[in-house]
Amino acid sequence: MKNVLRQYRDQAGLARRVRELEAEVQECRSLNLRVAELTDLVAELLVPLAGSDDPRVVEILERYRAGVSDPAGPSPR
Amino acid sequence: MSTPVVIDAHVDDEGVGVRLPRGAQDRPVDLVFDEQRIGSFWLERDTVERDGGRFWAWPGPLRSHLVGRTRVALVDHASSEELYAAEVVLGEPADAEQRVVVADAQGNPLGLDKSMRLMRLFADRSAEHLDPLLDSIEDVLAALRSCGVEAFIAYGTLLGAVRQGGFIGHDSDADLGYVSAHDHPADVVRESFRLQRALVDMGYPVTRYSGLAFKIFVQESDGTRRGLDVFGGFLREGVLYLMGEVGHPFEREWIWPLGTATLEGRELPVPARPEHLLVAMYGESWRVPDPAYQFETPAGTRRRLNGWFRGTRVQREEVWDPYYARKRGRSEDRPSDFVRWVRRRERRAVTAVDVGCGTGADVAFLARHGVNAIGLDYCRRAFARKQRKLARRDLPATFRWANLTEVRSTLVTGALLAREPGPKVVLARHLADATNADGRANLLRLARMVLGGEGRLYLQVLSAPAPGGDPLGVHPIDVDGLVAQVEASGGTVVARHDLAGERPGQTDPGATPYLCRLVVQWPQ
Repeated sequence: MKNVLRQYRDQAGLARRVRELEAEVQECRSLNLRVAELTDLVAELLVPLAGSDDPRVVEILERYRAGVSDPAGPSPR
Repeated sequence: MSTPVVIDAHVDDEGVGVRLPRGAQDRPVDLVFDEQRIGSFWLERDTVERDGGRFWAWPGPLRSHLVGRTRVALVDHASSEELYAAEVVLGEPADAEQRVVVADAQGNPLGLDKSMRLMRLFADRSAEHLDPLLDSIEDVLAALRSCGVEAFIAYGTLLGAVRQGGFIGHDSDADLGYVSAHDHPADVVRESFRLQRALVDMGYPVTRYSGLAFKIFVQESDGTRRGLDVFGGFLREGVLYLMGEVGHPFEREWIWPLGTATLEGRELPVPARPEHLLVAMYGESWRVPDPAYQFETPAGTRRRLNGWFRGTRVQREEVWDPYYARKRGRSEDRPSDFVRWVRRRERRAVTAVDVGCGTGADVAFLARHGVNAIGLDYCRRAFARKQRKLARRDLPATFRWANLTEVRSTLVTGALLAREPGPKVVLARHLADATNADGRANLLRLARMVLGGEGRLYLQVLSAPAPGGDPLGVHPIDVDGLVAQVEASGGTVVARHDLAGERPGQTDPGATPYLCRLVVQWPQ
């Protein structure tokens, strides 16, 4: 009887795990569309904007760059 | 009155009942009213058990046409043998001699396509009516070629060309496809975006269905506006995926170099080995005509196509497009209590953005009060009427198409509206509870961009089932979860009102709340 119960629990657990895994796989798949959208947006808007002579655009780009770069000056190590 | 010929059938206002001989093989039959083919169904597969026999209910779109006398016949699709025929009276005709008419307003005969939509089918069109469509197919194929993809005729159009050199009679539209040179889902989506842009630059209106499929509208020489579906595809690890139904083992050589097939006398591009694509689309029996064919896309393929490409039209096909198509011409669109409530609290607001504005009644209300009112909705049909009306009256109202389940649309709309003059307010009435999690996240993102750290977002959502039934397309959501999402986005809920009705003053103070209004602010 215990074995039957354990088997049932294992199978129910497995079914739950499969459902969870399927949901996780779908979550990963849906990133393709998001990545494509963001890349498209950046390529189509950021690049022409960067070519602008407007000093505010340059300032924003420089500030953004500073926030994603290593610090200036000698390496901390 | 019914006079059975070969099978025992009965036709009434509900539908068609048939009694099949024991052991009879399932087969598709054509439904014919007075010589006009209306549609097809499989005697077993498409019917349900009723009173010991099988029953096929009249499809919804057909019902309004079923008034008058007609000679109903059921004809075996393969052998053309008439299996049943009877003169019947349907509905309650004012004139006893009135015949059933299944036609559009111009008198063109209509028929049911395989999705049970009432359309102008190819079988009912003369060659001169097909010419504009063939011209459009060639135009769009050329446009796609100029954008760098080798497109071909696909699905029913390919099937008709290869099988009989012409359109399939029970089909109503033409489909095109292409296979990308890329093999990664994100890259084929980017290519599809690029194609859309190039086509729009050429002057074609385009509406997107997913990351890999869109419809191009073409103005035909006879004045009609036709939409051609373009399905993208790609090869990945020996499998061809083609929107919206295909995921099948495939060889590159079966696609390229493209060949040609004749469609109504014109040579059009097809895959190098079209028979392989037809097997992938319709199975091994593609050579046998089936007017009521139903795609049986394997679950794995559907999951992949859904996961990679779909999810950007949440509730459009299911709820809003049909709703606004039916609503056309009706005028019950008074401003909501919600917008009046917001207006009382935001008298200084110069600009108001109503996200998910629907027919635009709240936008009109705000514009009449001198506010620069902007309505956003992903269903352009919803606000088209109000947009024309307000433009005629010279009120400060504008409407834009925007889709919260598309990141691109959200970000570019947010960036443009951030430039509008302040103080600003953003409204979203029954939107967070009508969209999905992505839509909610993008709603907050959009509001935050538009407000730029000044002004507030006002939300109204359903927090529990509404007493008289939930409003169309709206489902109660977990408000605490929404508050947590606001906080995660850096915002603060500055006020929360749990209500038992749109007008709190008129409802019983002890009634259970089912509506929630939230006021959200973001720091500068």
